[in-house]
Amino acid sequence: MLILEAEDLAKRFGNVQAVDGISLRVGQGEIAGLLGPNGAGKSTTLHMLLGLITPDSGTVRMFGLDLARHRTEVLSQVNFSASYLGLPGVLHVREVLDAFARLYGLRRPRERVGEIIDLLEIGPLARRKVIELSSGQHTRVQLAKALINEPRLLILDEPTAALDPDAGDRIRGLLVRVARETGTALLITSHNMREVERMCDRIHFVSAGRIIAQGTATELADDFGVDDLEEVFLKVAREGAVPA
Amino acid sequence: MTISRDMSVDGAASLAYPPLSMAARRRRVGGVVVRDLAALRRSPIRVFEIVFWPVIELVVWGYLTLFLQAQKVPFVVSMLLGAILLWQVLHRAANEVAIGFLEEIWSRNLLNVHVTPVTPAEYMTGLVLFSLTKIAAGITFMALLAYALYGFGLFTIGIGLVPFMAVLMVMGWSLAFVAISCVLRFGEGAQVIAWSLVFVFQPLAGVFYPVSVLPEVLQAIAAVIPATYVFEGMRTVLDGGAIPWGSLAAAGLLDVAYVALALWLYGLTLRHARTKGRLSRFGE
Repeated sequence: MLILEAEDLAKRFGNVQAVDGISLRVGQGEIAGLLGPNGAGKSTTLHMLLGLITPDSGTVRMFGLDLARHRTEVLSQVNFSASYLGLPGVLHVREVLDAFARLYGLRRPRERVGEIIDLLEIGPLARRKVIELSSGQHTRVQLAKALINEPRLLILDEPTAALDPDAGDRIRGLLVRVARETGTALLITSHNMREVERMCDRIHFVSAGRIIAQGTATELADDFGVDDLEEVFLKVAREGAVPA
Repeated sequence: MTISRDMSVDGAASLAYPPLSMAARRRRVGGVVVRDLAALRRSPIRVFEIVFWPVIELVVWGYLTLFLQAQKVPFVVSMLLGAILLWQVLHRAANEVAIGFLEEIWSRNLLNVHVTPVTPAEYMTGLVLFSLTKIAAGITFMALLAYALYGFGLFTIGIGLVPFMAVLMVMGWSLAFVAISCVLRFGEGAQVIAWSLVFVFQPLAGVFYPVSVLPEVLQAIAAVIPATYVFEGMRTVLDGGAIPWGSLAAAGLLDVAYVALALWLYGLTLRHARTKGRLSRFGE
């Protein structure tokens, strides 16, 4: 079942063509990666999918609904986490999650907050102020927020950027489990090639606002005539290479 | 690529002043000043702020002096206390809603909120309802203090207090929506508008003196400010007159127009922010 269907998205800021005709499809339970150098247009694309940026052209449909026309319905089934976002610092973790549970209109916010705290194993943080958390703890709370509404589509912009290898590995494991067990579709960006290789069923390689290649990590490496995804990344970033 | 910079200790010393020297301290302080000057140069709103407060203070207290020259003291005292208390209703209504929004920006939480299914109308309603709590608490405290210190009871104004406060709150909220729109349009630098917009209306709305002391041009402007009718009405009531219901009805209609315009502006700037990618920048 198709969860996300973006067609020919384009966005220009002044003289810069940030996104130039990107099309994406993500199915139920699929983990898709959006990979590319800084400034390639990944975050702009994600923000268009979330309705934060209005595309100059193109359409975004989720669960068969047009985002522009059914914003509230669509966003109630989507969630987002990014390493660059914050949360209200003076609130306790439990209060933050409770607030978001309500913003997503959940029926039993307190019960859901309890479940999500258990799932993310953040019980010891529940009564701590957000401002007191380490960056790794903050990321886990952001992910708890992102899962609070049991989203059908979870969009993650560099989800493990602030985590140490152990915490990052646990979060990756959890996200894969969420996708496999609940059918949640994941769309992630990351600069961690091993993370992308390990998690993603399909990778979309973005450069200069366009998807220049897509496939599994192995398929992409073959297309570029290199050994792994990291080498693909370096070839694109440094040489502007395109698949053979 | 060749790295030519001398990275040795001696080389580092020649590149910069010794860190604890006066010269280094002057340079660092100068750096802060230069940075702030650069920020000032890049922000017309900050330049505007330099002249804003002195002008407002001068106008308000100058006209008040003119008014006091022709009044008896007991009436003036109750009028002033009533004006200060009701001004706080307007001021708090405007500021609390704006602060609620600004807190999202300060905590880099704005994008988290904007990707929820919450509609702009729901979000604004939430901010307004929350502000009501804070306004009620603040005004109650100030009213008790005014009674304890000066023997002035806010309820001296009578039943008119309810519509007076309602008109001021609605006007305050509409000003907050305008301030939020300015922040969405011009970025975080415009948050000074959230603090100061309400004060634009202080000299014009006759908060501390009747609008009759204003020049005719300013009186014409005062006539389209809802708060004007509240403060004029308050003075009438405290002077023993009847509640001017007709004027309050006009103020209510003006409030409707203010809110409609403010919400229209908010919708416009939100669409603009999404189109230009400005909303995303609040997450950076």
